[in-house]
Amino acid sequence: MFDNIISGFSLVFAVGPILGIIAGVIVGIIFGAIPGISAIMAIAMILPMTFYLGPVVGITLLLAVYKAGIYGGSISAILLNTPGAAASFLTAQDGHALTKAGKAGKALDISLFSSVSGEMLATIVLILIAAPFSLISLQAGPIEKVFLLLFAFTIIGTMAGDSIPRGLLSCCLGMLFSMVGMSSITGASRFTFGYTELMGGFTFTPMLIGILVMPEVFNVIRRRKDPQNKLTITRSPNPEDNRLSFKEFRAVFKTILKSSGIGTFVGALPGLGSSPAAFLAYSEAKRTAKKPKEYGKGSVEGIAAAESANNAVCGSSMIPMLTLSIPGDDVAALLMGAFLIHGLTPGPMIFFEHTQTIYAIFAGFLLTDLFLLVIARAGFKFFIKIASLRQYYIFPCVTAFAFTGAYTTGQNMDDIIVLIVFTIIGYGMRLVGLNPAVFIIGFILTPFFEQNLDQAMSIVGTNYWQLLASPFSWIFIILSILAVISTIRIRKKTKESPKERAA
Amino acid sequence: MDRRKIDIYLSTFLIVISAIILTNNNLVEGGAESNLSSMFLPRFSACLIIIFSLTIAIQSLMKLARKSEIKQHEIIETEGLSGVYIYIGILITYWISMLFLGFLISTPFIMIAVAVLLGGRRWVSIISMSVITSLIIFYGSKFFLRVYLPTWSL
Repeated sequence: MFDNIISGFSLVFAVGPILGIIAGVIVGIIFGAIPGISAIMAIAMILPMTFYLGPVVGITLLLAVYKAGIYGGSISAILLNTPGAAASFLTAQDGHALTKAGKAGKALDISLFSSVSGEMLATIVLILIAAPFSLISLQAGPIEKVFLLLFAFTIIGTMAGDSIPRGLLSCCLGMLFSMVGMSSITGASRFTFGYTELMGGFTFTPMLIGILVMPEVFNVIRRRKDPQNKLTITRSPNPEDNRLSFKEFRAVFKTILKSSGIGTFVGALPGLGSSPAAFLAYSEAKRTAKKPKEYGKGSVEGIAAAESANNAVCGSSMIPMLTLSIPGDDVAALLMGAFLIHGLTPGPMIFFEHTQTIYAIFAGFLLTDLFLLVIARAGFKFFIKIASLRQYYIFPCVTAFAFTGAYTTGQNMDDIIVLIVFTIIGYGMRLVGLNPAVFIIGFILTPFFEQNLDQAMSIVGTNYWQLLASPFSWIFIILSILAVISTIRIRKKTKESPKERAA
Repeated sequence: MDRRKIDIYLSTFLIVISAIILTNNNLVEGGAESNLSSMFLPRFSACLIIIFSLTIAIQSLMKLARKSEIKQHEIIETEGLSGVYIYIGILITYWISMLFLGFLISTPFIMIAVAVLLGGRRWVSIISMSVITSLIIFYGSKFFLRVYLPTWSL
């Protein structure tokens, strides 16, 4: 494995990948810092531009956008108290309190250092665990994979929706849309209604941009009359307040390590994502803190806990994707699409079929952390200036880039119709409480599910009971039931005690 | 707008669509024989959609019947939706204009329209930004990505 890591590093230490990482970090920080644009939107918009790059450059660029975008989200959370994602809510709470106290520099510093530490730890875990784990998952046959995917659908659907039926309905709708076009197994055309344009199914990228990116533009347009706040760094006359000292970093390092561990573990479980990781790590840090009362009122330790856990998810959410072909969260689902577009099928075989490429991507992952640290530290003011641009400069560009991205995929004007239609569907889904990210996961995983189900049926023939002969089938069935039951219980509990939660 | 009412309409619509998928054999054409019929998974998904839609519809119906107090997440805010409709109109116009006028001519106008919709009134900077961005995207795609964006076809 170490030979592979070294060869991966040798592949990534070239002009192309390095430039890709630098560009990705800059784009990611800017996009992440702009209120209203998230890391996932940034990746969706950059994705079409990577089609014409090699897999190492393209994927490392996307991963750099992802990591830097997650960090960039904390800039607007700290300076404006506008968390771009639920995971940044806690950072906003403590970070903005520090900003109001004139310690924005300190808040931005601890956010950066803990983000990078969390990401690095999770990446190292990813590198060390993914390949050995893939050897175990290689033992799984089509029957086991069918139940594993059913488990993935259930857990992602139940955890991510507004309610369990809405989450599962979003997943089923994604499954249904993925079946439009020619079946990869039988060659039959389904739901095409005689239109040859539909034979290839819905093109992934325009659909993705439509579902995930453009509805956010709708949101900005709806709020267009609200006053737009400007990002500014508040400065204290005491220089100690404007930066993080080594002593302060050392004091919170234990919390960073613990929170990164929590984030790595939670991220590796499919369906949970970064928000539960940040909340878990934050409450654990608060529980064991010497001054728990400071939490929520400008605690450096609080920011460190939330940010390191939030960012550790970036690396570990790739573990289920690369070893089991199950994306850990919505961003991992998007990255899975990117891997597929670049000719890399995520799954245990990736470590044998594309050994050099995958280790080069891992090396790029680690290198991104270093570039993020240097670029973000050096260009705080520049990024804040760019992110403070008025929305009437930013969103016309987003519209033009989205159309170009949709067109570039197949150089086909029909893809733009797909973009417009899915923009409306995506926004409609948000309005009625359906989850677009779960829809995308259902869309991506269904072809694998159908393929494995067909192979499983070939194995068992008419002896359907054999589907349940493997112990893994039962394990995944039980886990799915447990996931649904525990989610129902958690939701009930949170409904019963809203006052307690508020306190 | 009361989301519970929308839930009932949407669930009814999804149930009707799913029923069509379950009963209509003309939704699939051709294909080879396989252990799994081409319509197995679509019909399986349709069954699940019926179950989940029914669950959502029944929950909403019960709340409406009980006249229970509407919660914050059950309200669909309609404020500002007029802007969304205008934006959808702009997107459709962009698609049509790109077909005939090409990317380079249609994009600056569309970008200006979106900027105006968002309240932009600094004409010089908005126009320059629109033209420069369009040029960068068009020639950037052409020379770096080898993607030829649509050109004038009238």
